[in-house]
Amino acid sequence: MATAIDLMDKLKILADGAKYDVSCSSSGSFRRNKGGIGNAASCGICHSWTSDGRCVSLLKILMTNSCIYDCAYCVNRRSNDTPRVMLTPAEVAELTIGFYRRNYIEGLFLSTGVIRSPDHTMELLIGAVRTLRQEYRFNGYIHLKLVPGADPLLVEQAGLLADRVSINLELPTRESLALLAPDKSREAVVEPMRQVNSLIVTNMAERKCSRKVPRFAPAGQSTQLIVGATGETDRQIVTLSEQLYARLALKRVYYSAFIPVSSDSRLPARAGSPLRREHRLYQADWLLRYYGFNAHELLDEQSPNLESDLDPKSGWALRHLELFPVEINRADYEVLLRVPGIGVRSAQRIVTARRQGHLSIDDLPLLGVVLKRARYFITALGRYAGDCSPESSLLRERLLAAPAKRDHGQLDLPFSEQETADASLSTVSGEL
Amino acid sequence: MGGIYRYDGSSAGLLTLLAITVPRGVAPDAICVAPPPQQSLFTEVTVVDTDPELAETFQNELSQRLSPISLHQLRHAWHGDHPQREMLIFRYLLLAWRSGRSTSGMLAHPSVAPLWKLARMVGREAHRYLGFVRFRETSGGFFYAPLSPDHRVLPLIADHFAARFGDQQWVLHDLRHSEGIVHDRTRRQWLLLPMETSGDPELTPAEEQFQSLWRSYFTTLAIDERRNLPLQQGNVPLKVRPWLVEFA
Repeated sequence: MATAIDLMDKLKILADGAKYDVSCSSSGSFRRNKGGIGNAASCGICHSWTSDGRCVSLLKILMTNSCIYDCAYCVNRRSNDTPRVMLTPAEVAELTIGFYRRNYIEGLFLSTGVIRSPDHTMELLIGAVRTLRQEYRFNGYIHLKLVPGADPLLVEQAGLLADRVSINLELPTRESLALLAPDKSREAVVEPMRQVNSLIVTNMAERKCSRKVPRFAPAGQSTQLIVGATGETDRQIVTLSEQLYARLALKRVYYSAFIPVSSDSRLPARAGSPLRREHRLYQADWLLRYYGFNAHELLDEQSPNLESDLDPKSGWALRHLELFPVEINRADYEVLLRVPGIGVRSAQRIVTARRQGHLSIDDLPLLGVVLKRARYFITALGRYAGDCSPESSLLRERLLAAPAKRDHGQLDLPFSEQETADASLSTVSGEL
Repeated sequence: MGGIYRYDGSSAGLLTLLAITVPRGVAPDAICVAPPPQQSLFTEVTVVDTDPELAETFQNELSQRLSPISLHQLRHAWHGDHPQREMLIFRYLLLAWRSGRSTSGMLAHPSVAPLWKLARMVGREAHRYLGFVRFRETSGGFFYAPLSPDHRVLPLIADHFAARFGDQQWVLHDLRHSEGIVHDRTRRQWLLLPMETSGDPELTPAEEQFQSLWRSYFTTLAIDERRNLPLQQGNVPLKVRPWLVEFA
């Protein structure tokens, strides 16, 4: 039983060191169970949510929390006085399989501090994952961290075993990196990302010729940026993300609101962590990836930061009122996507449903379209449903306003003057 | 020709009933399994006897007439725990008989919208339970997972677990609907069976150990500075927590 307690302590320490890495997804890879245990579902599955509201999908853990580097933002930096422990590949496999069999997790997220050298550390990670894949015949999802500065051959091996690989950029600019992580160079981080990207491209081309070619990182690669530890603007961050998506075909860029885990003089003295800012950056990120927006449309030199109390799409729409309102029965899919409050699903449903007949405003809630913001920017069969016109100076205020309390529904009817006029008209003409 | 239609509650039973009513355009006032609580003087009760052959023919006809999306929606709605599910299916099919494969796109149509909504609820719950199932290793050598979903999602999630844990003997037990799925690893098959509650099974020592490891891992993983209980509760409703090891 002594070993069990030992394992418990290790698990706590190593999970504590890994939890600031926000990558969580288990989607984008489809792996069949080939006579062993586990498979990867392409939709991704969340298994639980912790008290900070973040999902638990993978067993997120460090191989070791010892580190030769001294990055100011990191909880595992050399100068931090914490107990240092290390898991053996067998222990990693035992924990993963034990949790997986009970359906606690969707797979493994293995990261680590750097010990001895990047190559040595990378070999340890690969060893643990190889044990899982080959000895336990584990076909579940594995997210493997690449160590900056590791040999390209090791990077290649990692991608062949894992579903997703990632290496964290952490700080958006070269200067910030030099300030807070003096031991890491930007090249050491970006070079493996380039390599992984070209390997993925080659692998996809090869697999088109023969399905027998083993897959290389089928769920692609991701990275993480820390927000608020250094003085970058949102414009710099979003533009960087846009380039990462366009040039390196990253699947995800994660944003992590900086939480002071040390009182280093190099770090800003801030009270809270910028959670709201992180949220707005994620919204902007989604607009880049799924809504056809460009970074320069969302942010420019005059307004280099996203508004804190208005989502980026509404902000964009308010700056481009000349494009609204749009008629939902005619507007293109791409145009619908740009309406505040209408997401990918709503837009798809509108496009599907309108093939079978015209849609009125009342049909939209049946499709699951939320009208709270959208109604100021659309017409249906020529009818406008907002309670103030798009040109009105009230619009901005309406979009900012807190959602109405449900129990007030009986007292204030949210109908516009226009609709009241319609109602009285129908009373006069007797039409319903 | 309306009236109340009764069937035996099986899918073949409902298919028989629909095969009799839908093509002829007969509109039942209600479709039920149990005898109606109050006998009305003017409504006639028609008891439909299950005819497996007719049911199969009708099912084949459905898969020819309807789009795959429609069939998917109907399957999900059938597994919904909703008092009106048979009538929703009936109305949908009545429309589908006229409109054919375009029915699945008429999302705002009064015959489609309620069924589609139910199907989405069932689908969403089924997906959630892919994550919320917690197996416990019992001394009997099988992995046991109790759950109590709102809808009868077990048949919708069984294939996922059968593929994933093909080398395990496992049991999924739906306590609310008193049914369960038993997976046999030697034959690689699962079966849906009626299942009664009979105390907690005895757990292995390894199970207790993994449970405490998981609990401490789960607690460690939360970042205190980001604490957000409403968000957590939105994602993990209180009703599923009794069956989750980390919340128990």
